[in-house]
Amino acid sequence: MREAAALPANPLQRIPGVAIMLGVLVVVFGAIAPGFLSTANISNVLVQSTILMMLALPMTLIIMTEGLDLSMGAVLTLTSLIVAIVSLATGSMLIGLAAAVLVGLAFGIANGWLVAVVGIPPFVATLGTLGVAQGLSLIVSDGQSVVGIPHSVRDIYSATLFTVPVPIVMALVSYLAFHALLYHTRFGTYIFALGGNREALKYAGRSPTRLLIIVYAIGGAMAGVAGLLMTARMNSGHPTAGLGLEFDAIAAVAVGGTSFERGNGWLLGTLLGVVTVGVLRNGLNLMALPSSIQVASIGVLVILALFLDGLRSRL
Amino acid sequence: MSMAVQIAEIAHIEPTTAPLFELRGISKEFPGVKALDDVSFSVWPGEVHMLLGENGAGKSSLMKVLCGAYRADSGEFYYKGEKVAIGSAADAQKLGIAVIFQEFSLVPYLDIAQNMFLGREPAGRIPGTIDRRKILGDAKRILDSIGFDIDPSVVVEKLGVAQQQMVEIAKAISQKARILVMDEPTAALSDRESELLFALIARLKADGVAIIYISHRMAEVFAMGDRITVLRDGRRIGEVRPGDASPDQLVRMMVGRTVDMSYPRNFAETPGKIMLEVKGLSAATGISDIDLVVRQGEIVGLCGLVGSGRTEVVRAIFGADEATAGQIIFNGQPTSGGPDQAARLGIALIPESRKTEGLALLRTVGDNLVVSALRKMFPSGLFEPSRAQRAADALVKQLRIATPNTRQTVGLLSGGNQQKVVIGKWLAADAKLFIFDEPTRGIDVGAKSEIFALIDRLVADGAAALMISSEQAEICHVCDRAYVMREGRIVGQLSRAELTEENIVKLGMHHA
Amino acid sequence: MTDVTKSTAAPLRSFLSEDVIQVFYRLLAAFLICVVLSFLSESFFSLGNILNVLRQASLMFFIASGLTLVVLTAGLDLSVGANVALSACLAGTVIHHSGSATLGVLTGLAAGGVIGLLNGIMVTVLRIPSFIATYGMLWVLNGLTYWYMAGDTIHGFPSGFRQIGSGYLFGLPTPVYLLLLFLAIGTIFAQRTIWGQEIYAIGANPVAARLSGIPVNRRLLLVYAVSGTMAGLASIIFLARLNSAEADIGESLTLPAIAAVLIGGTSLFGGVGTVFGTFVGALILTLMLNGMNLLQVNANWQPLVTGIILVFAVWLDMKTRQRGR
Repeated sequence: MREAAALPANPLQRIPGVAIMLGVLVVVFGAIAPGFLSTANISNVLVQSTILMMLALPMTLIIMTEGLDLSMGAVLTLTSLIVAIVSLATGSMLIGLAAAVLVGLAFGIANGWLVAVVGIPPFVATLGTLGVAQGLSLIVSDGQSVVGIPHSVRDIYSATLFTVPVPIVMALVSYLAFHALLYHTRFGTYIFALGGNREALKYAGRSPTRLLIIVYAIGGAMAGVAGLLMTARMNSGHPTAGLGLEFDAIAAVAVGGTSFERGNGWLLGTLLGVVTVGVLRNGLNLMALPSSIQVASIGVLVILALFLDGLRSRL
Repeated sequence: MSMAVQIAEIAHIEPTTAPLFELRGISKEFPGVKALDDVSFSVWPGEVHMLLGENGAGKSSLMKVLCGAYRADSGEFYYKGEKVAIGSAADAQKLGIAVIFQEFSLVPYLDIAQNMFLGREPAGRIPGTIDRRKILGDAKRILDSIGFDIDPSVVVEKLGVAQQQMVEIAKAISQKARILVMDEPTAALSDRESELLFALIARLKADGVAIIYISHRMAEVFAMGDRITVLRDGRRIGEVRPGDASPDQLVRMMVGRTVDMSYPRNFAETPGKIMLEVKGLSAATGISDIDLVVRQGEIVGLCGLVGSGRTEVVRAIFGADEATAGQIIFNGQPTSGGPDQAARLGIALIPESRKTEGLALLRTVGDNLVVSALRKMFPSGLFEPSRAQRAADALVKQLRIATPNTRQTVGLLSGGNQQKVVIGKWLAADAKLFIFDEPTRGIDVGAKSEIFALIDRLVADGAAALMISSEQAEICHVCDRAYVMREGRIVGQLSRAELTEENIVKLGMHHA
Repeated sequence: MTDVTKSTAAPLRSFLSEDVIQVFYRLLAAFLICVVLSFLSESFFSLGNILNVLRQASLMFFIASGLTLVVLTAGLDLSVGANVALSACLAGTVIHHSGSATLGVLTGLAAGGVIGLLNGIMVTVLRIPSFIATYGMLWVLNGLTYWYMAGDTIHGFPSGFRQIGSGYLFGLPTPVYLLLLFLAIGTIFAQRTIWGQEIYAIGANPVAARLSGIPVNRRLLLVYAVSGTMAGLASIIFLARLNSAEADIGESLTLPAIAAVLIGGTSLFGGVGTVFGTFVGALILTLMLNGMNLLQVNANWQPLVTGIILVFAVWLDMKTRQRGR
């Protein structure tokens, strides 16, 4: 299969590190965390991971181009507020979604423009837009939660499609869409080149600038969709929910094996990475450890993954 | 017999009336150096035309002009007898010219088929998608046609260098290349892999593809070439057929020049004491078992072709790269450690790329002059700008560096003066062993003399110098002795008497 | 000899250093902002407000000064805010338990320094790019702080200690004296010690710096350690000023600190910038935020404005570098 070709040839290395990490965590938490292995909990973990999945998928693409998007969490916060506010005002969930996607798209294009046209290093550019998005979130919400939104929004989170929760359906559809995009379209091919050998793209007559802008724009749009899920989950719009989620997304991508240089991306790895991060948070939660420790552990996980990635590329 | 028929006979190809591609009077100049000077030559379909020349002869400039990366300043191109222009990579591609450089242009994590058809992928039914079956099929066909049996869905990153080269060739063929330019294709290949490559070249010949083949290896040149053109100093010196010339003759064509070199050099009568001794030095950068000696008062040359490992040797001596084996003994003491250690002991490195490795271009002349001497000048740790300024001014005067003052941004100086700053920085640091890597590259003739006069004074005053240079004439005029390297090892030492350009090239090129 | 005085690139450096000119322009900008604000708001020029601005700018400056050294080497320390938070909480705990303010101060400085050193190790030994390493550290520190504090607040410190942050000396807030002190120390270190010169060299061209005999790794460890220690110092002042320590005090500190460094003319790409420039940058940012407060602009606009100014400063930096090529 096409994706399998990305795995190392050495049989010992054939099992990806993320699968091992996930396996270890499942075993450990199964043993020491109360209620971890119950069906209710597992399904809970999966559903809650869907928002992260929406962010981690485009983040994979961005990281493959040797970039980074630190603004995703803040943009998510903003778009979830937009969903709440607009759907409250218009009574329609779909219009709220459309507005959120548009706003997310605008931020994505801004990021792409700053990085590709102006030439500002990605982490600085997205740090700047993070501030802008964060500020706008506080302004449009005036620091308060937005409540009383139409039921149609909340229902998204709890509804099921053929007994599969809608969020999971959305996440799966997104995954399949990104998979097709990355491995079956020209655009996907060019993403590998953006990170692996940008010169080769130029010789082939493609514009790296346009491609980069599109990549970041996709990230923004996905943050818009994730905004719907977030608002649905909380049944309200909150001015700071979602801040910092870009960190989980970057962690999921890094842990999943996508490299920060040379244009190597593995979507399945990101999926496993998302589940790993979700399992880590869930397990620590069940053990009544506060969110802060969860975050610290993820930080350690990222540093570990990066260090190993550095080792791997030097081997 | 007309030229066309003659060539056709030699190359065993169909005679045609005009060459497939011809260069007439191509010139390309860069500030201070004429890379190509009125070069003319032609290739016929199915011909393997060898291009020979030393470092700096103009081969790589020629390649860049052919593929559209550089634009020629003057001269004309003819394709099948008709005048054409090569202003861009697209123009070159349209003419069917494909250049395979030593550093490949492949995307590591895409597969062979995707690399071959980058930017020209066959479309699937849904717009924007790729027809996987077609791209793999097309790729397989081309790979088979060149005898490369491999699954086109293998990711390129997994392939060895030889295989990646095959992919590059397949890519060129998929672009319907009729003229293939190959730069040292066997440099990274084993003998067996080279055989396969030669078989492929024979196949391409039979198909009427013209091949311009750049090589240093005499054996290949004589075995594979239909015609041989020699370049020197950017000029076309001559063209011969393998049957009509001997390797020695070719060497003489590559090397012989009458140059007015008024480099002052006072050779020491008796050699001074040993300052640097290197025993069995090896490093992961590709050098093995290096033994050499440098004495006080000497300028010792380090010669060899590009890629023979000279820079790697001096970097290992300076501590810039880690040594995996061997000893470096400086003034009787074994040393190890990084460049900071070497600098403290009195070893200096004047690197090959002075702009990226020797200077901080955005800082001032003064800043750059004192940067290595900070600890020696200010042992207490407190930096006195006025004293630094005075020291810098003194150096500018001593070395006659052309700059309005020491506050000038060093990036604005000419090449020769920039080099003087790099040397001056080590003078300020009281260095005793000066290692030069291509000290006069990119410097005009007048400045060159000055630099050599400077080096001469340095060693006369009790220092020692180890010098890498690709200009054999320089080595012969200036050095007391020279070591010659080939493929990471030292293959010989030439004394003052033996130091001739021909000897250097012979030792450096001989490929058993 | 070729005449090098005719060039079409950057202007000749005459007796005025390029750095000085840049700082001068920024001082001018700060002055202009003051003029504009004094027109827009009557309360701007009151003694109370000016002193307030100075105090705020000082607090921003402490963090930004150490950060300046890091940015000079073309690196970044995104963990400074979180560093301040953790160090403050630890120092606060020590003061409470031991009753000794001195011990608390030492704890704060030590904690900040250790964090900085860890950052430095990640960058030099583990060779992780600085923005990723410090970004990861940011989250680790955040997590540790929130866990350690468990939602509590530490408050109530000896009044003598509080003078450091909220006291006055000869009419000026105490932090201002510390500001002047560290401005002097920072400037002397950067411009008048050999280590400072080496740091500029590393920022301008790390490869050439190494090949010129500068022990690059050792200097990088130093700058990250200093950045961390200055964050530790800032945490003490915050502690004294706010008279309390909570887990979230660091959240809004990192972005303004980075903005101050960049506005002050220190280039993201290394080798250019001054500590004094950072002070002016802190001043400009504080004046802008103060102006927004006085004009009763919704406080929620502040991170947004800071973000925009940050991007603008980077854009200016890139334009300047291009011009000088």
